[in-house]
Formats: sequence, structure tokens, C-alpha cells
Amino acid sequence: MQAEASAVAASPATPSKAAAAAFVVLSQLGGAAFLYFLLKADGGWQVVGLLAVLGLGFTLLEKFPQVAEFARASLASLPLLTIAVAAVVVVAFPFAVGSNTYMLHLLIVAQLYAVLALALNFQLGSANIPNFATGASYGIGAYVSALLAINFGLSFWLTLPLAALAATLFGFVIGIPSMRTRDTYLALVTIAFGVVVQQLLNNFDFTGGPNGLVGIPAPSLFGHSFADPLVIFGHKLPSQANFYYLSAALVVVAIVTAHRLHGSRIGLAWNALRADEIAARAQGINVAWFKVLAFAVDAFLAAFAGTIYAFYVSYISPDNFTFLVSVTIMTMVIVGGMDNIFGVIVGAFLLTILPEKLRAFSDYRLLFFGVVIIGFLMIRPQGLFPQRMRSYGGRS
Amino acid sequence: MCARMHGWYSCRLQSEMWRMAELLIQQGLNWITLGCIYALLAIGFSLIFGVLNVIHFSHGDVAMTAPFICLALATAFGATSPTWLVLALVIAILAVGLIGVVLDRVVIRQFRDAPAMMALVSTVALGIVIRESIRHLYPEGSNPHAFPRLVSGVAFEIAGVPVNWFALLVTVLTVVLIGLLFVFLRMTPLGLRIRAASEDRVVARMMGIRDGRVFRATFFIASAIGAIAGLLFASYAGVTRFDFGIMAGLLGFSAAVIGGLGSMPGAILGGLIIAGIEVLAQTFVPDGASYRLVFVFVLVIVVLVFRPAGLLGRPLMEKV
Repeated sequence: MQAEASAVAASPATPSKAAAAAFVVLSQLGGAAFLYFLLKADGGWQVVGLLAVLGLGFTLLEKFPQVAEFARASLASLPLLTIAVAAVVVVAFPFAVGSNTYMLHLLIVAQLYAVLALALNFQLGSANIPNFATGASYGIGAYVSALLAINFGLSFWLTLPLAALAATLFGFVIGIPSMRTRDTYLALVTIAFGVVVQQLLNNFDFTGGPNGLVGIPAPSLFGHSFADPLVIFGHKLPSQANFYYLSAALVVVAIVTAHRLHGSRIGLAWNALRADEIAARAQGINVAWFKVLAFAVDAFLAAFAGTIYAFYVSYISPDNFTFLVSVTIMTMVIVGGMDNIFGVIVGAFLLTILPEKLRAFSDYRLLFFGVVIIGFLMIRPQGLFPQRMRSYGGRS
Repeated sequence: MCARMHGWYSCRLQSEMWRMAELLIQQGLNWITLGCIYALLAIGFSLIFGVLNVIHFSHGDVAMTAPFICLALATAFGATSPTWLVLALVIAILAVGLIGVVLDRVVIRQFRDAPAMMALVSTVALGIVIRESIRHLYPEGSNPHAFPRLVSGVAFEIAGVPVNWFALLVTVLTVVLIGLLFVFLRMTPLGLRIRAASEDRVVARMMGIRDGRVFRATFFIASAIGAIAGLLFASYAGVTRFDFGIMAGLLGFSAAVIGGLGSMPGAILGGLIIAGIEVLAQTFVPDGASYRLVFVFVLVIVVLVFRPAGLLGRPLMEKV
């Protein structure tokens, strides 16, 4: 028995190339199929069944850590294949969905939330800094780009960096109090910023007040308007597909940014802050600068998501960017797993799609969020996918 | 007559000053009423934080369940006589105190020794759960429900400005409650235990203080005081809604933080400051009513940037 156990424990460390390749392809196809059925599911029981499958999967992962280890090793040993399969899945997904615009809509929203959750993850996950103002940065991105497009006729592609710039400045401004305040006090400061921004959007005349802004023009690329159906190789996709690919590209940007930052000295500094601020300072880390930086990076990515959202729905109002939006984003990070890029994305997808799918409970959506947050914090505070220990290059 | 005696200009000036004075007294009364309500809310936040080192973000929502419980009881009693109303109020206050204890037991207790963020996020979520439960469980919970003025009529006049009984009631009640709380914390054995636990929970336990009891008492008192604030707030507004809790919570929390968490005088000062800014914005700034929250929260940010531990809070030195 014991010998067997140790053999099992030893073998997955280096999965054979073939097994790894098979796992990479099958797991991603399986994930895509799960997402497809989840989007397609109609009625409570199908969703409950799919959730049961998901729960079973997690229980198995928990029971047999070597499976998780095998999965990680396989994906890590064949990075090119992993990325190639992921790219094919993402590109091919709208073709599988076909003309079902509602499914595409859910996917776009889920992707935007994934970006927002990744943005918040820099603070909440990496550095454990509370931030209830992500919704405000998201709103600033959306409003700045929409105002530029409506009043000055700037194209989407120009407003994107400008909105990001404006939101980043806002991020620096929220970050400044973080040099002096901590924990609860800092949380209140970010809540205060969120309320102030939302109230200003609600009261200014040029933002349209509570009515918001309407008639944001659709972006176009090389003469192709995003309001038109997308035709690829004679295959016609609904106009939402344009935004699907756009937001997918943004998710890729966010993942690459998050991954690179996590691997850099900045990510390391954030983790040090989370572990012990005083020790980090003693190590010569400029604590104030890295805190402010976390806020700025969050606002930067959130503004991108906001811009795409504004141009996608072509109508924004202050109600889209309330305190509760920030809480929703925070839930996604907590449920997915703090400081785990993959987990955060899964959290964003699940928490966007599930409330939509549980039609019978659509009124109870917020209640559902509340209960999920409390439940997760109590039962599984590390989230679905806990953060992994950093490995410092020493492959043993 | 005045014009004949002093000339037109000085007459106008006089009436202008007169109006100004009336406005000031009127708004001053508003300020005191609102300030007392915020102070009562802030005391709950401060008390819980002082003892448990946990932010009970849903305190405002807990407090705002009181008007709903009271309305439900009043309907159940089917009577409108003052005795029944007082009974409904008292039961509502006690019930909310118990709700506080139960929430601590079920949820907040789990995060007592966890990082501050966990307790904060979980109580934010708890607030959502409370609000949504009211909305779905209470009959027609999504609509505003009228809430009566507890007392009506004019008590007396200050320089021609009527002071109604309600403002008087709020002020007197707040002063009495704060006095009672002070006496309780300073002069009773349980109050001593609460103060001991808030100073150092571990040492208090070594001295034979059962902290479970202390926590229950703290939550009961804080929630019951919050319930009184909630009832007064609904009565002041003349209406109650399921989502009043979020603003009540944010404003009460802000008041407690501005004053310095854990400090009773700070909570009172914070409540008065927040109410003061609101009333000032409404009175003197054009269109101030819609911008009042902007003023309040900008003030919160400014105070925290310059005095990170609040106005009367002790600056925390972190031990290594």
C-alpha cells in the first residue's frame, strides 16, 4: 500500500509528453464544453446538475491533490500547446454558439468582469489592500470614453487610451490616502471615493445626470462597423461577436499583464506587503509607492473594461457603477481565489453566468451574492483555486 | 412702520437678518436632530469595534430593520392607541438587539481572529443579505412604507421659530441614552468587563472574564441603540425603505471613523460633524441637497488623510 502511494506521489512530477498533451487538449475542451452547456442550460435543474458536476470535480481535486499536481505539471510542461489550444477554443467558441446572441452577451459581460476582477486582484489578492472603488474606476473609464466619443467624435481606439489615462490618474489619487491609512480606515476611504464619483456622475449636467449617456457610437475597425454582423470565411456571426473578440483580446491583455506583474519584482513587493508591511519596509521596499501603484494598475485595467462596456451597450448610467458593483467584483476575486489568475477568471465567469441562469431566482440575485460571499469566507476563505506558493526557479 | 422709523434700507437689512436668524435656528434644530441620530448609529459601530476589533458593516442594516419590525407589530396588534405603539417600539428594539447577537453568533464570530478585510467584506455581504431579506420577506418590501412621527406638535418657540416635540424627543433621548451608556460602562460590573475586554481580550480572559458573555452584551447594546436610531431616522424621514440601511450604515460608520473608532466621545462628535456638513450643504450651497453626500464623503477622505486614526482616536503604533 505504502509503496503504491509513494509511487503515485512520485510519478506525476514528470508526466510523459503524450499524457501531458492529451490532458492539455482534453481539459481545455472539457472546460469549454462545460461553459457551453452552462450557457445553454435552461431551467434550474440543468444548472443544478452542472453545478453538481463542478462540485464533484472540486471534491475530487481536494481528495486527490496529485491530480491537481498532474494538471499543473502538464500545463506547465507544454506552454505553447496550452496557449494554442486556448486560442483555438476562444476563437471557435462563437461559431459553436451560432446565432444565440444572449449567450454571446453573457460571455462578453463575463469577460469584462473577468478583467475587472483581475484588476482588483492586484490589490485585494496580491497586496491585501481593500479597494471598494473599482466600480468607480470602471465608471470613469466608461464615462470619459463615452463623453469623448459623443462630444468630440473621437474614435473608440483613441478614447481607449485616454480613458485609461484619466482612470489611472484617479487611481493615483485614491492611492494617496493609502500611504497614511490602513485596513478599515483605508476601506472607508475607497468607499468614500466610490460614493463621491457615483454621486457626481449622478448630479453633473454634462454626464446626463441619472439618465446617463445615450447613443454612444459603435466602434469600427478597418471600415468594419462593430454594429454589423461579422462574416468570417462566409460564416455569418451576429454583431455581438465583434465585441466578444474585442473583450477576449482585453482578457488576454489583462492575463499577460497580471502574469508579468506577478512574476516581476513589483508582484513580489506586493506579496511582501501582504505578508508583513513592516518587514517589507525593513527589506527596503518603498511601501507607499507600491501601494499607490496597485491602485493605479487597478484603475488602468478597469478603465479598459469600462470603455468596452460603454461602446458595447451604447448606453451608460450612474447605476451601472455603484458600490454594489465594486462588491460584486470583490466577490469574484474572493470566490475564485485571491492572487490566482485562473481562479479569479473562473470566479468572474461563474458569478456572472449563474445568477443569470437561475431565472427562477432572478429577483434573489443580490441575496445569492451575499450568501455566497459569506459562505465562501466561512467555509473556503482561500477561494476555489487557492494561490500557489511561489517557486523561485529551483525545480527540484 | 419699520420703514418710516429707520428708512427703507435699514429696514430691509433688518428683515434680512431676521430671516437669516430664523433660518439658522431652523437649520440648527435640523442639525441637532440628525446629528443625534447619526451619533447613536456611530456609537454602535464604535462600541463593537472597540470590544471586538471587528467592523460590523451591516450595523446600519440591522438598525434599519427596527422600523419594519415595528410596523409589522403595529399591524399585527391592529391597534393605534399609544400603549400599543410604545409596546411595538420596545419589542422592536429588543428584537433588533437579539438579531445583533444572533448575527454575531452565526457570522461575525467566525472572523474574530481573521484579517480585518475578511470581517469587513463578510459584513458588507451580510448587509446585502439583510436588505434583500427585508425586500423579499416583508409584504411589498421593495416599496417605501410610511412611518409615523412618534410625537407631533410644537413644544415651544425660540425667537418665533417653532421647536417641535420630535426634535426635543430625539435630543433628550440621545442625551439620556449616552448618559445611561456611560453609567453602564463605568459603574456596573458588566460594563467593567466590557471595558476590560476592549482593552485586551486575552488578559481579560486570564482575569476570569468570560468573553462570550461580554460579546453578547456588546452586540445586544450596540444593536438596540442602533434600533433606536433606526426608528428615529424612519420617523424623521416619515418613511422607511429596505435600502435605507446602506446609507445609514455608511453615514454612521463614517461618523465613527471620523471621530476615531472605539472612542465614545469621538462617535458623538463624528455624528454631529457629519450631520453638520449635510445641513450646511443643503442650506448654503445651491443645489446642495443633491450634492450633500459628495460633501460628506470628501470630508471623510480629508479627515482620514490628515488624521488617519480619526479626530479623537489614539494613533495606533504597530507592535512588531
